[in-house]
Amino acid sequence: MRGGGRLRALWRTSTWTWAPESEREAGEAIVRNLWLHWFPNKVTVRSASWGYSLWLGTAAASLFLILLVTGMLLMFFYVPSVEQAYWSMKDIRFAVSFGWLLRNQHRWAAHLMVGTTFLHMARVFVTGAYRGPRSLNWLVGIALLLLTLLLSFTGYLLPWDQLAYWAVTVGTNIAREAPVVGETLRFLLLGGSTIGQATLLRFYVLHVFVLPAAVLVLFAYHMWRVRKDGGLAAIEPLRRARAQAAGPPAPTKSYSLFGVTRGATIQTLVSTDLEEEDVAFSSPELVRRVVLVFLLVFNVTLLLSVLFNAPLEEAANPALTPNPAKAPWYFLWLQELVASTTVRIGGFSVSGGFVGGILVPGVLLLLAAAWPFLDQSPRGTEGVWLPRERRRQNLVFGLVALAMIALIIVSLYFRGPSWGFYWPWQPWPQEPTRL
Amino acid sequence: MAESRRGFLRLIGKGSVFLAFLVQIVAAARAFVPNVLYEPSRRFKVRKPKDYPQGVTFNDEHRLFVVRQENDFHVVSAVCTHLGCTVQWKPDRDEFDCPCHGSRFHRDGTVIAGPAPRPLAWYPVALSPDGYLEIDTAETVARGFRFTPPPGQA
Repeated sequence: MRGGGRLRALWRTSTWTWAPESEREAGEAIVRNLWLHWFPNKVTVRSASWGYSLWLGTAAASLFLILLVTGMLLMFFYVPSVEQAYWSMKDIRFAVSFGWLLRNQHRWAAHLMVGTTFLHMARVFVTGAYRGPRSLNWLVGIALLLLTLLLSFTGYLLPWDQLAYWAVTVGTNIAREAPVVGETLRFLLLGGSTIGQATLLRFYVLHVFVLPAAVLVLFAYHMWRVRKDGGLAAIEPLRRARAQAAGPPAPTKSYSLFGVTRGATIQTLVSTDLEEEDVAFSSPELVRRVVLVFLLVFNVTLLLSVLFNAPLEEAANPALTPNPAKAPWYFLWLQELVASTTVRIGGFSVSGGFVGGILVPGVLLLLAAAWPFLDQSPRGTEGVWLPRERRRQNLVFGLVALAMIALIIVSLYFRGPSWGFYWPWQPWPQEPTRL
Repeated sequence: MAESRRGFLRLIGKGSVFLAFLVQIVAAARAFVPNVLYEPSRRFKVRKPKDYPQGVTFNDEHRLFVVRQENDFHVVSAVCTHLGCTVQWKPDRDEFDCPCHGSRFHRDGTVIAGPAPRPLAWYPVALSPDGYLEIDTAETVARGFRFTPPPGQA
């Protein structure tokens, strides 16, 4: 083969066509491409529709990609040292060309990712998509949500400004309230008994390597499981309709003897038993939409970053707590809880740090993780938005979400100095901002 | 017997190789427990007694209040017992307020209102040989503790 032919072959191997002219070409685009082969060859039209999944998972993944790239760029300018961290933040904001943009993108993508991940979870819940074989992936998703929150929390300390210092003071003191292991946990997290250089370095390494690596591994598993569990739950109504129309399923060829004896064949796992009109080729239909979602998310993040600056307060000062000191919005419901759940019985008291910071979120988390296994409602509604049969469950989920949002709104707009209640139009008393 | 001896040796062989992984994990985990803390000493000197005015004086370096009543001194922690924010002295209301979650404390550190589960800590204070007040935040003392410097020192 001549050089030109080899180059063309290399090009064909590493790219794909947007406009396949045959089924074979469409299939090859997926199978022969490293980046696309994790998609199925064909995808149901319903799974790929905008309205079913709202593409929230893809949006969260896109935001994570933005975070990886902007975070990696910021690492070139940020110095994780107590003496220099805050001043390197100032440099990024004012001295590095477009440093402000990179930081704003990183911050907005982080906030959007927390929100999107939660909305993705809500979508999976209200469509009952966590049920049956997909319950393991629901657990992986919860782990990913936790990792997202941990990434936000560790990233929060890095600017080493007042906001950072006090949010982490409160956060690590909540960790201390954990029974038995609390004190040790805090000591290990801080690398000492006070927030200092060891803390900054620990949070930094967790933030830039350990947690992102964990997200990448779990994300890959999350995607792999989606396929092993037979695709999105969106296809379940199609399968049910088809099963009803066709009567008992015809015996199908199996690639596995054990598959036959256990009653599960490779066909039922990957559900090729759908009508032609229900499916489309992943390349280009799915790929094009993934790219569109990414571009949309990227542009929203960029727009927010150009319009709104990420805050940078004064340098961290252990002697002076800003008044009021508010956590980022996604932790504010917890702050409202820790501020109001201290229980006193006579001389004995249980700190709100434990009730609101450990007990309530812990129970919510366990409940969410156990839900697929507690759920007794009749099967057969997976993949449908808000089905009547699951009204009560969706109501519970909605009420919990609503309570969280209400607490967030109260602490965001109605809390002033010393966590007092103030109407949004009420002026706050003057508090010292420096000693 | 020969079979079981072989099995036993195999177990020892494989076991010791896997044990190396265990050692690796323990070693890596143990490295995260610091053996030396480069933190400021918890026993330190502040000003001389006579340099303190009457009433409550905030020490920002060590996050505590030195309280002087006539010639009696005591030291109250400025770290909120709820979640560790620095409380502020409000002389007009004669109380300590926490900015984070709204805990309020009496002058003696006991809780008036808010989520704080315990009163503010009191630390022992004494006179160093060279005439400065010396505070030890590694220990606490009961409320009502008073230190009176010898006459002429205050």
